[in-house]
Amino acid sequence: MKKSKIFEVYERRRDIYTKNLTPGKRVYDEWLVKDANIEYRRWDPEKSKLAASILKGTPNTGIRKGDVVLYLGCSTGTTPSHVSDIIGKDGFLFGIDPAPRVLREFVFLCEKRKNMTALLEDANHPENYADKICEVDVLYQDIAQRNQAEIFIKNLRFLKKGGYALIAVKARSVDVTKKPKQIFNQVREELEKHLTIIDYRILDPFEKDHCMFICKKNN
Amino acid sequence: MHFTHLIGEFSLEKGNLKELKLYKDAAQYKSTESKEVLPKDSKYFSKLRDFNLQLTKIKIRESVNEDNLICQAINTVAETDKVLNTLVKRLREWYALYNPEFSVANNEKYAELVARKSKQQLLKETNVKVSMGKDLPKKDLDAMMNLAKKIDSLVQLKNETLDYLEDIMKIYCPNLTEVAGVTVGAKLIEHTGSLRKLVMFPASTIQILGAEKALFRHLKTGARPPRHGLILQHIFVSSAPQKERGRRARALADKLSMAVKLDFFKGEFLGKKLKKQLEEKFK
Ligand SMILES: C[S@@+](CC[C@H](N)C(=O)[O-])C[C@H]1O[C@@H](n2cnc3c(N)ncnc32)[C@H](O)[C@@H]1O
Repeated sequence: MKKSKIFEVYERRRDIYTKNLTPGKRVYDEWLVKDANIEYRRWDPEKSKLAASILKGTPNTGIRKGDVVLYLGCSTGTTPSHVSDIIGKDGFLFGIDPAPRVLREFVFLCEKRKNMTALLEDANHPENYADKICEVDVLYQDIAQRNQAEIFIKNLRFLKKGGYALIAVKARSVDVTKKPKQIFNQVREELEKHLTIIDYRILDPFEKDHCMFICKKNN
Repeated sequence: MHFTHLIGEFSLEKGNLKELKLYKDAAQYKSTESKEVLPKDSKYFSKLRDFNLQLTKIKIRESVNEDNLICQAINTVAETDKVLNTLVKRLREWYALYNPEFSVANNEKYAELVARKSKQQLLKETNVKVSMGKDLPKKDLDAMMNLAKKIDSLVQLKNETLDYLEDIMKIYCPNLTEVAGVTVGAKLIEHTGSLRKLVMFPASTIQILGAEKALFRHLKTGARPPRHGLILQHIFVSSAPQKERGRRARALADKLSMAVKLDFFKGEFLGKKLKKQLEEKFK
């Protein structure tokens, strides 16, 4: 196992891994691998858009050890669990999702991982959780909603100056009749009004019709 | 600037945070309109974690509602149906070794009769003199009848679940239940997730719920748009001749949309009237 060029992400052959914060415990059905007495969890690019972006060559995700992350659309916690590995025990992650069914699983995950918590909230209404979280170093969003760009921008208020903002965009949830590229460009224009885009990856073939924008909030 | 947060009360002057009071648990917190963002400080992480988990657990508990119960019940009915289909096919094969001349097309009826009556009783009704079936010793017969009885109790499970569903739906959404019937009504709720979501759809969408694949194809490639989805299962549509189904589906969807609105906004019970209007229109 060797370090990759991404913070706290490791690689072996074609696969990427994160150090398991809770050794012996699996989150989804990922492989656990031991090397020099350290346990790693394989990060599946078919199940996590962030892993897909890394494998598609993103040079920097902006997420580091000790960071505080606001994660919109945490679902059952597949990607959040790897982010939790990356930020480590000194970092912290707020997971937001309005769907009780998936958040229930996420709560169980939070009970095992001390650096995460769960909020049953709709990211359309940041005013409802503004007094329950704190300023964050990273904003991450993956919610597959028609107004995903608008939601993302509303939540920038929690991001520190110079902080990273990552958004996974699903073309089909915006408009099924338009070409994905058209929609990605539309989102890009929206984002550029508020942020500096530093990386853009199309996630094909791991995720069809999805892309990831990595942006930075201006100082 | 003084502000209240889930974990306590603070003041923030020129970027300097002062703790006024830290809460012991989430119960002390009262939601506020405060717009201040708490600065990052790792000493607060454990409170942020615990208090949010406390609140979220309560919210998840309180989110359980009639919609959830209806979805679980109708899915139980649908899945029991699937299992019944598979098992009755097996029973037909097995039982035919013993009594091949007996046959009833309806699966549930077949299982019920096999479970409750003897070969002699069943053969009385057919005019069979010499059966092709082999008389089986008690041990073999018992194993087979065991399956028949379990299938029969699955049929009961399904019917009892339907009764329960009817019970709760008549209270929760009486108009929808009257116009759509129990199964189609419950499937509409199950398909959208809740009555609240169902009420947001126009009649034209209700008409094609359950035919989303065909709709996407239509939007993408210009193929023929779907004319009816889930509501095709309603007897009012399914019993009509092919060429009249589209018109019926549209009319039914209209009434369903009205029924759902009445139920969601706690209007009066007009289900019977809506149903009658519908039937009269197509006499
Ligand atoms: C594609 S899943 C996210 C998967 C997750 N990011 C991962 O990689 O493990 C999308 C999630 O967004 C959630 N979602 C939808 N609308 C939302 C909203 N308005 N605010 C927050 N989350 C939302 C859904 O409930 C769903 O769980």
